[in-house]
Amino acid sequence: MAADAKQLMEQYIDGDANAFRELYALVAPKLLGYLMRMTRQRASADDLLQQTFLKVHRARAAYVRGADPVPWIYSIAHRTFLDDARKHKRAIVRVADDDQLPEVAAGLTGESDDRRDDPRVDPELAREAVAALDSLPEQQREAVVLTKLDGKSVAEAAQIAGTSVGAMKVRAHRGYEALRKLLGGGKHKTAAAPSRVVRDEAS
Amino acid sequence: MTKPSAMMDRTDEALADLAAHPPAPPAMSGAFDAVLAELAPVAARRPWRHAAIVGTVALAYAGGLLAVIAMRRDLHELPMGWLVGVGILWLAGFVVPSTLALVPRAGHIAPRWRAAAIVSVVSSALFVVLGLLVHPSGPSSGYLGPENFIRGHGCLELGLATAIAPALLGAIFLRGSLPVRSRWVAAALGAGGGSLGGLVLHLHCRIADGMHVGLVHGGVVVVGALLAALLLPRITDGPLE
Repeated sequence: MAADAKQLMEQYIDGDANAFRELYALVAPKLLGYLMRMTRQRASADDLLQQTFLKVHRARAAYVRGADPVPWIYSIAHRTFLDDARKHKRAIVRVADDDQLPEVAAGLTGESDDRRDDPRVDPELAREAVAALDSLPEQQREAVVLTKLDGKSVAEAAQIAGTSVGAMKVRAHRGYEALRKLLGGGKHKTAAAPSRVVRDEAS
Repeated sequence: MTKPSAMMDRTDEALADLAAHPPAPPAMSGAFDAVLAELAPVAARRPWRHAAIVGTVALAYAGGLLAVIAMRRDLHELPMGWLVGVGILWLAGFVVPSTLALVPRAGHIAPRWRAAAIVSVVSSALFVVLGLLVHPSGPSSGYLGPENFIRGHGCLELGLATAIAPALLGAIFLRGSLPVRSRWVAAALGAGGGSLGGLVLHLHCRIADGMHVGLVHGGVVVVGALLAALLLPRITDGPLE
């Protein structure tokens, strides 16, 4: 993604509006996923996504040629989320003492329309995963989303969230362990294992 | 280290499934169409060029200030090694934090906030301690002492006046590049500017008691960093608000 994003960003600051549209199409799905997991509300995530790209547009002169714009765009989304959360002081959903997961509103997984035909491994498991993720403390949730779902390295995730690599590693580890506790760590036979998720766990 | 693909943990399976099914983003809002219809090319940020501009302007400004306020009267009476050595240290205190604040690692947009933060704290402490411990004097040197310590505030004001130029210029060049930790980068700009102020004071002020040199001359770095951390994010964060 990085090479394409670099090229598109350079064309965009050179005045090519289509490059911006392509950059949006390239980055927005993952970024929306990140914002959905952070806000836990599809409507808020949509709104923050638009705000993020408006800020990218306003700050485009800060771009340095040859740099990967994706971590910077994620950082802007991170900040936009925090500013919004401070404004609205969102209620934090926490797991009850009995470790029961909260209900997930229908459609909160918000999967892409063009993926609707892709068979999910287990729709029930996906809903449970979303509920489990949403129950994590904000920093752990962000760490898990960035490193396990969005495929960022720990260093990239730390850069996005404005924290140290060590702190991000701890957050990702604790978040992942909490998820395992909530979802259960039992082995399941499966046909395909996306390598990114497994690789990141090892790092 | 990878797990056998045929045996996935339930958690990994769920995460892999979520990762494989990203949500569909909404269409770009109408606001973008209006903005993109009038899209004009903009110049990209050039960090090394901006650092060179900040350095040149700041040194010219500091040199101009020194020409106006004159060099210290006891200059020829002081140990040359201390004069030059500490002068180089003050200069390094300007160059290093300013460069860290303005120039990101290759391939990155945001500057190195963590390194900038460390250097700001270290240089703030270093110049205070150095001034308290090492402050040679000559027959023409002045002495304020603890009872007249407050009378040395003019040096703090002169040092901060020197710091304004590089800190402000650096903040303008960094507009929009710092979505996170802008206060630490701003502090580095303030500490860098404060060190340049310290260099001007080193060459101008003939007061040679430890409290004044340490707490006022060194204090310019501390106060510069604090004021910059407080005020400069209003400039650097403008496009991201």
